[in-house]
Amino acid sequence: MSDFKALSDAVIKGDINAAVAQTQQALEAGHNPHDVIDKGLVAGMDEVGNRFSKGQFFVPQMLRAAKTMQECMKLLHPLLKEGDVVSKGKILIGTVKGDLHDIGKNLVAMMLEGAGFEIVDLGVDVPPEKFVEKVQENRPDIVAMSALLSTTMPAMPQTITAIEKAGLRDKVKVMIGGAPVTEKYAQEIKSDGYASDAGGAVNKAKGLLGIP
Amino acid sequence: MKPMGIPTFQPRLKVLDRKQALAIHNAALEILEKTGFKMEHPGALEMLTGAGCRVLSDGRVRLPGYLVEDALKSAPRQIALHDQKGNKTMPLVDGNPFYGTGSDATFTIDVETGQRRRAVLKDVADFATVIDALDNISFNMSMANPEDVPEIKDIYVQVFAEMVKNTNKPLVFIADSGRDLARIYDIACLVCGGEEGFQQRPFMLNYSEAISPLRFPENVMERLIFCAEKKIPICFPSGANAGGGSPITLAGAMALGIAENLVGLVVHQMAGKGSPFLFGPNVSTLDMKHSIVSYGCPEWSLTQAALADMRDELYGLPVWAYAGASDAKVMDAQAGAEAMFSIVTAMLSRCDLVHDVAFLEYGFTSSLEMAVMADEYIAMSRFFVDGIPVSDETLALDAIHRVAGQEPSSIFLMDDHTYEHFMQAQFLPRLIDRSRHDAWAEAGSLDMYRRCNVEARRLLAEHEVEQKPETVLKEIDKVIKRN
Repeated sequence: MSDFKALSDAVIKGDINAAVAQTQQALEAGHNPHDVIDKGLVAGMDEVGNRFSKGQFFVPQMLRAAKTMQECMKLLHPLLKEGDVVSKGKILIGTVKGDLHDIGKNLVAMMLEGAGFEIVDLGVDVPPEKFVEKVQENRPDIVAMSALLSTTMPAMPQTITAIEKAGLRDKVKVMIGGAPVTEKYAQEIKSDGYASDAGGAVNKAKGLLGIP
Repeated sequence: MKPMGIPTFQPRLKVLDRKQALAIHNAALEILEKTGFKMEHPGALEMLTGAGCRVLSDGRVRLPGYLVEDALKSAPRQIALHDQKGNKTMPLVDGNPFYGTGSDATFTIDVETGQRRRAVLKDVADFATVIDALDNISFNMSMANPEDVPEIKDIYVQVFAEMVKNTNKPLVFIADSGRDLARIYDIACLVCGGEEGFQQRPFMLNYSEAISPLRFPENVMERLIFCAEKKIPICFPSGANAGGGSPITLAGAMALGIAENLVGLVVHQMAGKGSPFLFGPNVSTLDMKHSIVSYGCPEWSLTQAALADMRDELYGLPVWAYAGASDAKVMDAQAGAEAMFSIVTAMLSRCDLVHDVAFLEYGFTSSLEMAVMADEYIAMSRFFVDGIPVSDETLALDAIHRVAGQEPSSIFLMDDHTYEHFMQAQFLPRLIDRSRHDAWAEAGSLDMYRRCNVEARRLLAEHEVEQKPETVLKEIDKVIKRN
């Protein structure tokens, strides 16, 4: 375990250069790539998540740590076998039809990615039929939708209906968010979950997929 | 000849000097010339390219600085907003501050139960009624994003009509598209007895915003152009919030927000030369722990004070600002401190139109108690900014001579000079409590929140809003139903 402490620390600090160097050293020393990931990178990210939830870490520190991990993964990916790395789950995300506001959606996507989910970001103004098409194409575990305006919120139930009509509703969980969205609304439109912020979205996604 | 009096200095806050103001302005111009922006409205794009903008291979528009200078020259330096009865109650000129509420809070603190709940259309009416009654709050915004409108696509028309029915103060309003705006304009003309009446005495200002960084959606530009053509006053503040829509450092955030505002101004003045445009972005901060846009942070007060300085140094146009809001979830000490901090600094820096009064929870929740409290804090700030008049009358040498010369020495409380001046010489609070403890206890030991609650409910029960003629109300209902 102590073999990877320097790597974990570099992830926690968001020191990309040091983390990449540590990853290289670990591989040169003959460590298994899976150990580098689990005992080094993920251990570091877990501590980052811990400190964030205790209010000791700020969002930019968390995002920098996630970026550090991603840079290290670039070295590790080629060494892994096909289907070897199982992400926590695949999430399709986008703002709904008519809504162009994506700061919140982007933040949620980054936080989910940092927490180990694979993200397919459909961008902004995504019509229901495109959500359906991309669900068919990507087979995600979760579809995540965002709306900032009350005038675009109705596109959320429309998208859920479209997913239902395509016979895909039981294959994905749907979670929603955005300024005018409430828990009550999330229930009314029969989505599977709502979160008020990006940290909450990570917990909700884990909850929906039964990840501790 | 009468000797000249001593003018009263009115305390004033400055946060930028001329060099800083110029550097931020130049940075804004460089953003427009080098980085460029995304213009998604074909008509606006055509106007811009026709005037000398270039679209480079990245699809982004580059705007030369001279277009900005032209637009700054043609935009009017004062905007006179009237109330709905035609009185010029809000002359936005010379840094004369006017305060009002905000719009589209998802929740409200129910004035009866004290519970946070989803906002409904009646909240729009209640806020309008209370604002109508408050002396120091000059204009009204919807406050609520109601969940119970019959047709969600008509939400902004419904909300506007609700405001018109429940207050006669000037309105700041939101619309979704040009179609919304056309119906809202029709309602406004009904209130003014026709288009000419509205043009002579405009009582409303549209709030539209670009998306930071540097994105100008079609429906937003549609509204901007409609307002320019119809001479409906408009503000165009993008959410250039430091760390979210714009850089974390305030100078860069201001430069970006101003650049976005200048694009709006340029298109606006091309579409309607000389039409009124209220200048200024919203430059708050994105909270680095909770990723909310803060409505109580010192940064927003600082950037809008800086913007007022840039108005005085460079732009000359009245500016858009915020105050009287909080990130607190309930009306507690944090809410009071944050509300007062922004109210007094907006006053001291002479922001012109100051919105968002009465928000809690970073603009997600509205509170009638906050509105009532802010009314008093605005009066208190205004008293401070009025300064200390110095004259024979206020130096009161005669009174000093009179009182001190009496045997046994009297106190000033009994002197005629006190009787004659106390109403002006002192700030006389209504809700701020200075009573003695036993009297306070006897009255129920009410804290500021509960005193404001009592006052808000009293205003709702007792204040009568002067109603519009029945014929006008009927016509308004027809416009709401029209598609």
